Amino acid sequence: MRSSTLKVDGSEGKVSEKLIKFNLITERSGGYVVDITIFLQVLVNSILLGGMYAVISIGLNIIFGVLKIVNFAHGELIMLGMYISYWLTVLYGLNPYITLPIVAATLFLIGLVVERVLIKPILNAPSINQLLTTAALILILQNIALILWRADYRGVSVKMPLISIGPIFISATRLVAFIGGLAASLCLYYILMKTDLGIRIRAVAQDPEVAQIVGVNVPRIQTLTFGLGAMLAGIAGSLMIPIFMVNPTVGSNFGLIAWVIIVLGGLGSFTGALIGSFIVGFIEAFVGILISLEMARAVAFLAFIAILLFKPAGILGEKARV
Amino acid sequence: MSMFKSLNIKYIVPLAVILYALPLIPQQPYVTHLMIMTLMWAYLATAWNILGGFSGQLSLGHAAFFGIGAYASYFLTVWYGIPPIVSLIVSGMFASLISIGIGYPCFRYGLRGVYFTLATIAFAEILKDVFIYLRDITGGSLGIWLPVTHEGIVNLYFISKESYYYVITSLWLLLMIILSLAGRFKDYLIAIREDEDVAASIGINITRYKLMALLISSYFTGVGGSFYIYYFRYINPYTAFGLDTSLQMVLISVFGGMYSLWGSFIGSLVLTPIGEYLRITLGGTYVGSHLIIYGVLLIIIIRFMPRGVFGIAEIIRSKYLIRGG
Repeated sequence: MRSSTLKVDGSEGKVSEKLIKFNLITERSGGYVVDITIFLQVLVNSILLGGMYAVISIGLNIIFGVLKIVNFAHGELIMLGMYISYWLTVLYGLNPYITLPIVAATLFLIGLVVERVLIKPILNAPSINQLLTTAALILILQNIALILWRADYRGVSVKMPLISIGPIFISATRLVAFIGGLAASLCLYYILMKTDLGIRIRAVAQDPEVAQIVGVNVPRIQTLTFGLGAMLAGIAGSLMIPIFMVNPTVGSNFGLIAWVIIVLGGLGSFTGALIGSFIVGFIEAFVGILISLEMARAVAFLAFIAILLFKPAGILGEKARV
Repeated sequence: MSMFKSLNIKYIVPLAVILYALPLIPQQPYVTHLMIMTLMWAYLATAWNILGGFSGQLSLGHAAFFGIGAYASYFLTVWYGIPPIVSLIVSGMFASLISIGIGYPCFRYGLRGVYFTLATIAFAEILKDVFIYLRDITGGSLGIWLPVTHEGIVNLYFISKESYYYVITSLWLLLMIILSLAGRFKDYLIAIREDEDVAASIGINITRYKLMALLISSYFTGVGGSFYIYYFRYINPYTAFGLDTSLQMVLISVFGGMYSLWGSFIGSLVLTPIGEYLRITLGGTYVGSHLIIYGVLLIIIIRFMPRGVFGIAEIIRSKYLIRGG
């Protein structure tokens, strides 16, 4: 076994048994030795996870940035995306990645409808009302999924090789999700920065009243933005169905994590959400292997509360807004 | 406001007589169960409303205090042999103690509105994860069962459901009486809800009053969790700390009218029987159908009558009073 020179003082004796069990740390005379390959493996995993989180959180962030509403049901949109991808794969024998454009288009339409029917009427209501409305949407979507598709965990397996780079293994499905997630995020960035639509969206995000005065159709941009955000949720769902199992409550996990990420990176900030995704991916992967998956979530939430309290503008601060 | 002053103790006494007399009518155990659930959710929503309704701090993490109350009762009963009737009262104190962990930093650093709500959700989620992780102590995701003991009020273990009904009715009435008497305190909280800066400028210590509202609210929520485990004899981290549990308290309170003391009771009177009925009749085929209806009702209520059912009653009453001269 290849080992690094990183040593932990043996006299402390505070090394988790789990670390030893997974060969992350081996006991040698006079101390413990950390295995660098496993460290690298977890690092790679965390980066891949971060790419997937990016597409989830950027979708949520653009919705918050433009509509200024708290959408709690973003995870449920991802859940819908995963189910649509799952059923297209199972019923029509499609490759999950081929279903991606169909899922994206469907979620875009669902997003338009949700915005028109539920969100538009409460855009100027107190934030508490917006929050409760989207929380109610969670109840509705989760339980519709429960009635239609039961609580069973469902997954799709894609026959793809395990890529090995030296001693490190990369799952091809995760790599595709990472690349796809980053590509979708960059596409959105391009749209926001270079296209006419993007300029309008950014104008509404900065000041809806002024945008209205200079001739931007603000309600239409808001509806389109919600659709775009939902579309990114759908893309995320399609990319993740070969990796994670789907069940009706899977969304609440992703939805909460997306909130953690965008608060961490700064609400409304594109770059912030990207950086936040990798930080949360890093925390989850490392705490996950060191302690447990539940505690990985708990640590991410703890970091979230700390950021809310001490640095509410996010790690990049006020200036990082797109 | 006018409604608070007119609807106080003198309305609680006749209501108490009616509620205590209800089990005298012979009924199926299922109906008694419905009555217990209605009173339990009325009680929990009233407890939530102290913080969420009166002081306007929308917590969506009250399941944290509910869960701590339930688990604390289990530990006190099973590990330390403390009589359940005592743990029922003490378990709420653990919930209050835990609530300081989230409340003090949030109020100290002035976390408001949605940010406070997000922090409370995260707090409940952390507790859920920790309770799943510590499976040697908490039983993990499988949950915990209370062993069967001798019947009686000391052990809070009864064969007949009526006795549980009397316990939860008494708890709810006690909470209502306490809140009816806390006029000044409630007024301060409402002042904070309406405008924090103005409330601060007239000398109300915002942080202290919010924290007191949280302590009281979490205490009673914890006692509610304790009642839950003594009645059902089982709980798991998902029920105890889940977002669904928090949402149910909020929903009932908002539906009935979160700005009034009686809203939670009215909300539970309407929603809990619907929910329990659907759960029992459609539960086999359509699990969760009651939650879809809850969700739709919540959206409609927020859109068209944000002051809840009781708010409508208040408007009609005030119009009637003006017309009647």
